[in-house]
Amino acid sequence: MNDEAVIRVEHVSKKFCKNLKTSMRYGIEDISRNAVGMPSRCGQLREREFWAVDDVSFEVERGETLGLIGPNGSGKTTLLKMLNGIFWPDKGKITVKGRVGALIEVGAGFHPMLTGRENIYVNAAILGMSKAETQAKFDSIVEFADIGDFLDTSVKHYSSGMFVRLGFAVAVHCEPDVLLVDEVLAVGDEGFQTKCFNKIGELREAGITTILVSHNMHTISNFAGKAVLLQNGRATYYDNTAQAIKTYNKLFLLNGEADHNWEIQTLHEGNNNISFNTRINKTVLTPGDDITLLIDYAATKEYRDVEIDVVLLSSSESGMYFQATNKAYDKVVNLLSGKHTLAISVERAPIHNSVGRLAVSIWAKNRAEMLFWCRVPVEFTERSYAHGNNFFRVRYETLA
Amino acid sequence: MDSRLVTTYEPDNSLKKGYKGIFPEIFNELKANRWLIFQLFKKDFLALYKQSFIGIMWAVIIPLITVGTFVVLNGAGVFNAGAIAVPYALYAVLGVAIWQLFAAGLIASSNSLVLAGPMITKINFSLKSLVVASLGQSLLSFLIQFCLVVVLLVYYRFVPSAWILLMPLLIIPIILLTMGLGFILSLLNGILRDIGNMLSVCMTFFLFLTPILYAKPTTGLLAVVSTYNPLYYLVGVPRELVLAGTISEWKGFALSSALAATVFLICLVIFHLTETRITERI
Repeated sequence: MNDEAVIRVEHVSKKFCKNLKTSMRYGIEDISRNAVGMPSRCGQLREREFWAVDDVSFEVERGETLGLIGPNGSGKTTLLKMLNGIFWPDKGKITVKGRVGALIEVGAGFHPMLTGRENIYVNAAILGMSKAETQAKFDSIVEFADIGDFLDTSVKHYSSGMFVRLGFAVAVHCEPDVLLVDEVLAVGDEGFQTKCFNKIGELREAGITTILVSHNMHTISNFAGKAVLLQNGRATYYDNTAQAIKTYNKLFLLNGEADHNWEIQTLHEGNNNISFNTRINKTVLTPGDDITLLIDYAATKEYRDVEIDVVLLSSSESGMYFQATNKAYDKVVNLLSGKHTLAISVERAPIHNSVGRLAVSIWAKNRAEMLFWCRVPVEFTERSYAHGNNFFRVRYETLA
Repeated sequence: MDSRLVTTYEPDNSLKKGYKGIFPEIFNELKANRWLIFQLFKKDFLALYKQSFIGIMWAVIIPLITVGTFVVLNGAGVFNAGAIAVPYALYAVLGVAIWQLFAAGLIASSNSLVLAGPMITKINFSLKSLVVASLGQSLLSFLIQFCLVVVLLVYYRFVPSAWILLMPLLIIPIILLTMGLGFILSLLNGILRDIGNMLSVCMTFFLFLTPILYAKPTTGLLAVVSTYNPLYYLVGVPRELVLAGTISEWKGFALSSALAATVFLICLVIFHLTETRITERI
């Protein structure tokens, strides 16, 4: 074992059962076998079982931050729970050096009836802090949580933000050597998120090793030096986070198909009075290119003053680069009767090394009737940062 | 960083480590987690009574109502408690107090893992501590109920034997039995929720099956059942010692205590060997 490796994962697999009743039977079986000292035969799949994590290996060195990414259900949380010892691997071996702190769900140990003060003590104990440690850090926890007079109020009366702040405050104060973070920073307001990242940064400086699970690729690329991409339980290790993110982003568009063989998805195509057909100039763009969508339509009547939404979605479920309607540009669009072509162009889209979708929807009658909705996959290639002229124009200057 | 602390997770970990180290391992785990056990107990306690005016005094109400019912039934001649040398209320309240240690303790501990389900699937901490802490509530209730016994002693001007001072020792066997069964049932209940439901029903049945609210019958089926019922000895003998200062069935008590200790040790070892497999099934 590499001496610097703090976390070592060797061919680790974990299986789960899809059916609850079968799972109950297997549970009794496993426990009975273990109880009488027989090996649990966990290496093989029984009926209705599947590998949630399948033969995963990687190492994390001291002070490193590893990003764990993958689509929903790819096994990220299961892997994280195994690293924390909540679940035990069915195959392989995990070795962790030092105290492990896990932020799998903030405030998981809180009881709603107890006050903030009582919950700090209970939660700290559950997270492995001793009495002396808790007492020594109590003030610091309260200060970090910033819940003011609510310290002696039942947690059930807290706002969700206060709840999360208190949970995070306790968790980061247990001074782990290894910190496992599962998408918990997505909650809480921006001010608190900044505080959390500062705290994680501080811990990192002190030599803590971090594994970060997130769907936010911005977070991953900012914090993680290396990444593991999980797909259906199988892992690929990347020394280069950017490469991992690009592969991850493509997952959502390709669905296993070969590159560039993406279809324009038409999700709604008008009614008897109007029909549409969509074309696009090119789907692989250089940062700064125009994206032009041509929509041919044939209408038997005129639709006046339609509203057209244009959204440029990033590949992750929630993110978007840009969103607008023609109203925002004071542009009145009428769909005339007969056969015409509507050209919609997003000019000089400054998007770098990413994939996304251009979504267009057309509404009539003051948004009471949707005429058309389509999604077009687009890819932006990488470009040397040295150019800069195809990006948003940003000025950097020192003012007197 | 404490680099000496190296944790390994692999299947059948305990089997590979061998059985020799099991008891020191369990002992060290519980010792290291004393503070955690106390905090978990405190959490249960506060959560249970926070939104209640009567609070912990509910511990008194349960035996009072149970015993009260039987006092009435006994007085009306519907129910015959048999030949009891001491005041019936005293006999029954002390019996129910010891019984509740077992019944309430077992129900609490068998539900401990299930109730903490959302927590144990997100935080890794000592599951044994969770089960042990769940017994705290019934110990505290026993303490309160014992105060009720003292009140009754004063009321009836009844002088107990000196054994009353050894009460904490006399209840050790029944606590061991409760804890042992609690360990194993909490695991099983984690997988099959039927266990928890079944237990609540069984406890009422066992309460009537065991001579707690009545004297042990001398003939008939119930007499035979009682002879082989360890709970009868574990409740009845401490009660007899405290109230009368005599012990008529020391052999039964010794055997039952030995059984309780064995059950405790076996269940503890089973729990230790299998606890790593429970979280994923909860």
